[in-house]
Order: sequence, then structure tokens, then C-alpha cells
Amino acid sequence: MAVVGLLVLLALAWHRTLPATSVVPVAFDAAVVERGADLAALGNCASCHTARDGQPYAGGVPLATGFGTLHGTNITPERETGIGDWSEAAFVRAMREGVARDGSQLYPAFPYDHFGRIADDDLRALYAFVMTRDPVHAANVANDLRFPFGFRPLVAGWNLLFLRRAAFQQDPGRSVEWNRGAYLADALGHCSGCHAPRNALGAEKTGRGLAGGEAEGWTVPALDARSPSPLPWTVEQLTEYLRTGITHDHAMAAGPMQEVVTSLARAPADDVRAIAVYVQSQTGAATPARQARAEGAMRRASLGPLARVRADTGAAAPSGVDPELLRLGESVYQGACAGCHDLGRAVSSSGALRLPLAVAVYDPDPRSLLRIVRQGIAPGPAQPGRWMPAFGTMLTDGQLVALLAYLRSSAADAPPWPDLARHVRETKAAP
Amino acid sequence: MITLNVNGTARQVDADPATPLLYVLRDDLALNGAKFGCGLGQCGACTVMIDGAAAYSCLMPIALVGQRPVKTVEGLGSVDKPGILQQAFIDEQAAQCGYCIAGMIMRAQALLERQPNPSDAEIRREMAPNLCRCGTHMRILRAVRRAADTMRGVAVASPVASR
Repeated sequence: MAVVGLLVLLALAWHRTLPATSVVPVAFDAAVVERGADLAALGNCASCHTARDGQPYAGGVPLATGFGTLHGTNITPERETGIGDWSEAAFVRAMREGVARDGSQLYPAFPYDHFGRIADDDLRALYAFVMTRDPVHAANVANDLRFPFGFRPLVAGWNLLFLRRAAFQQDPGRSVEWNRGAYLADALGHCSGCHAPRNALGAEKTGRGLAGGEAEGWTVPALDARSPSPLPWTVEQLTEYLRTGITHDHAMAAGPMQEVVTSLARAPADDVRAIAVYVQSQTGAATPARQARAEGAMRRASLGPLARVRADTGAAAPSGVDPELLRLGESVYQGACAGCHDLGRAVSSSGALRLPLAVAVYDPDPRSLLRIVRQGIAPGPAQPGRWMPAFGTMLTDGQLVALLAYLRSSAADAPPWPDLARHVRETKAAP
Repeated sequence: MITLNVNGTARQVDADPATPLLYVLRDDLALNGAKFGCGLGQCGACTVMIDGAAAYSCLMPIALVGQRPVKTVEGLGSVDKPGILQQAFIDEQAAQCGYCIAGMIMRAQALLERQPNPSDAEIRREMAPNLCRCGTHMRILRAVRRAADTMRGVAVASPVASR
């Protein structure tokens, strides 16, 4: 039986090798290449295919998954180590089916489950774009996967179970802009790759839209009715956030989202706005509960210094929280955070968001907030951007636990995170 | 009274537990190497080492330091007998006004204690939080490289002043 199963898998995984092109194709219409550049920015190809100190699109980016570490590959048109001998047909097959030119299966960390819905014309433009990049000779870094995931034919089974080969469906009841945004967010931007939960085999759970997920150890907030954002997003705010990584009254981009906004900054403004229109439409109606949450957050933020919030609410520790822990947390906040975060953004360039408005204190678990406190927020190399210092080596684990318990209670006025101490221990190992 | 462990010595200070470590170092212990720049953790002039890692002393109330060892630039050497990093900064003439240098040296020291043979990219990344308004960053990077090489016994170029 196992033998039969293996044979079926191998049969499914068999794809023919497509012929190599004899020369790197270079004759592309400049306008098509330009459009491909826009699409590559919208799809954030660079995040996985350009290493931190590496050449553009030459690969080598490690991506930690539940199955081990994968490495983004060299997609420059270099013939030995890149995809310089890939025909357009080979490129299209890879994007739609997750099969390399040599017939081997690609791993679904490369989101072909989304890219399969990219329109033909757009795939052609993307091909023109990658084939006109500077070729870089850079051998791909071997993946480091747990047994048995290094065996690529297994992916054929994954595809059989999870790959839906349906084209993008327009919604005739919605505006042109909404449909454009839905297409960009789903097919190119693959937002749900991080903003939706995944099953045990790493496939996005069907029907869960943008219900929130995780990426590289970060909690990724839901963008549907479960959105933890204390204030509801407007289209204008979302557009600004996606293009700049920061918007008034909302947290700024950190973690993997920083790369997304860096990429979207180079995309056409109309397209980014279309994505915002679509995403905002998914966040759902203003229910009385959300209204109350927003008003609470606004009130706490308007008090200015966070110490006043505790005074204002009678300083009663929520049940199950040690008041001594909150006192320690408050002293950490006063010493390390208040200088910027009590000011609010409006006062000066050194003023930072008042934390009752920060999404991370409302998240279902503390991982993102922990990472922000530990690593700070810094722009990428040669990128302009906002700065928050890193406190990871300054604060002890006990001080971090106290700070986060205090922020959860005072800034978010929310019940304590269970397992806070465990998360502090675990994120230490994975900075 | 609060006891701090500074440069290997137990020091008693009579200060509010919420006082930033930087103020205590400068005002109570006369260790004036670390500087006040922004008071917000944005410039790095106040950088010292706490428990082996670079820390913004302006954002660190003494109550939170506890018994963790604090090291300041004064702990690396003296005018007569500069430490390896201090000598490297002199040899590369890495200071102009000098205000940022104590912080730069302490961040570099923390790096080299953790990673004795950093790549140039690692040095750049590690030093990124510390700002120099005179613009001697290139010399500072060379000085850190020089110190790393000296510590590992690799031959280094003659000092800038004698070139």
C-alpha cells in the first residue's frame, strides 16, 4: 500500500523538463518591463528574493517555517545559478503550478497558490521584468528542512489537497477599484499568506479570508471583523500606512510588514489605494462593541501619560495579576518608554504613538509586542524610516514580563495574556 | 542607598531608584565618559555595557540595573594606558568633536566581546544605532575593524597620524 502510494505521489510529481532558452531573452517592450516592475513591487518579490546585504533578486533569504528553513532563490536572469535559461512558458508554469523549469516541485512558501490567479498579461510583464534585471552569479542556498519535508515530490500531494486552480473572480456588485484591490491583494500581494491561519500542513485554511495568522514568529493581525485594531481603519489611513508604514493614530509597520510597505512605496499609488479599499471593506461594520473599544482607547490615549490611566481607572489590578508585577512594569515603562510614548506623535518628531492606540497591545498573544520591544524598529539598509531603540539586551526577562503585563492592563485595558512568561522565554531563543 | 557594580567595583549611591543610570554615572560617580545626547535612546551617546550588552544608560533607571555589572569607557583603559579599542580610535583619528565616541566605543566593545571576528556588514549593522554628527562614521568603522584585528593578532596598518 505504501509502495502504491509512493508511486502515485511520484507520478503526480512528475513534470517534464521544459527546454532551456538558448540566450537570455532581452527584447522586451520598455512599457511592459515598467509594468512588471510595478507588479513586482505589489507582489513584494524582493522580500524573499533579495537578501539583506545581497544583490537585488539574487536570493539567499532565509525563511523560517514550521517545517524548517527555506531560502529564497536567485531569480535574476543568470544562466547557471538564476533563471536565465527559463522560457516564458517555464516562468508561467512555475508561477501557476509551482514547478521549476527542470520539472521539480517548488515549495509552497513560494505562494503559487496565489500567483496562479495572476492574469496572463501580468505574468508576461513580470517575466519581462525579471529577465531584464542584472544577472547575478549566486548559487542558491540549500534548504534546511526536517525529515521528510526535504523530499520534494511530497509537494505534489500537498498540491492535490490544497491547490485550487481557479482564476480570479470579479465581483460585479462591487466597484472597479474594489475589484482591482481584491485582485492585487489576493493574486499578487498574497496578503492572506500571512494574514490568515494555516493548517498543520502549512496551507491557508479555506474560507478564513483575512482572519489573522502568523509569520516568522510575529503575530499577524486579522484584517476582518476580528481586527484587533483599537480604532477602525479608514481607506485613507490604510493607504497611507501601506505606502509609508505609518499613519496617525495607528501603529507603524514592524517585522515582516516593514518589507511589504517598503515594496509598496514603489508601487503605483492608485493600486495601493485599491488594496486599501478592498482591505477596509473586509474589516466589517462598526458594531457597538467595537465602538466602545475605540472610545475607550481614545479616552486612555487622551489622558497623555500612561500613569494617569491607572490613576483614572482606580489603579485596581485586574484579577489574577500581581500588583507588584504591575508596579515593576510601570517603573520599566517610566524609565524606558514614557519619554517618547507619553508624548504622542503630535508633539515633536521624537514623540511616539500613545500605546492605548497601538495594535500590538490588543493582539491575541504578546509575540509581536515582545519582538518590537526586544528588537526595536529600524529601517532597512539605506532606507529612510522611523526608529525605535531595541531593549532586548537591556531588560531582564522578568522586567519584560512586567512591562508587557503593565501595558496589557493599562494601555489596552484587556485581560492578561496567558503564557506571557513562556512567550518571553521562547522569543529570546529566536530574536 | 543603592549598590551598583560599576567597572568591577561595588559603588554605593544615594539616589532615587528611578534616576537614569547615566545621571548617576556622571553626577554621583564622576564617570563622565558617557554623554547625554537625546535622552530618548535615539543617538547612542549614553551607551554603556550592562551585563555584557550595549545599553542606553539614559533609559535605564538604576533600580532596574540591579546587580548586573556595568562597564563604562573608563573601564577599558586610561589616558596613560588606553585599551585596544581606545587605541584603535586614536590610531584611526576616529573622533572629531568626540561627543559620540564613548558610546561608540562601548557599543563596539559589546560587539567584539560577543563576536571577535565580525564582518564589515556586521560592524555596520551593530553600530547603526549610534550617531555621529561630525560625520566620522567611516573612521569609526575602520577603528572597530582595527581593534577586532588587533585583538585577534592580525597585522594592522600604521596609525593615521604617522602615515
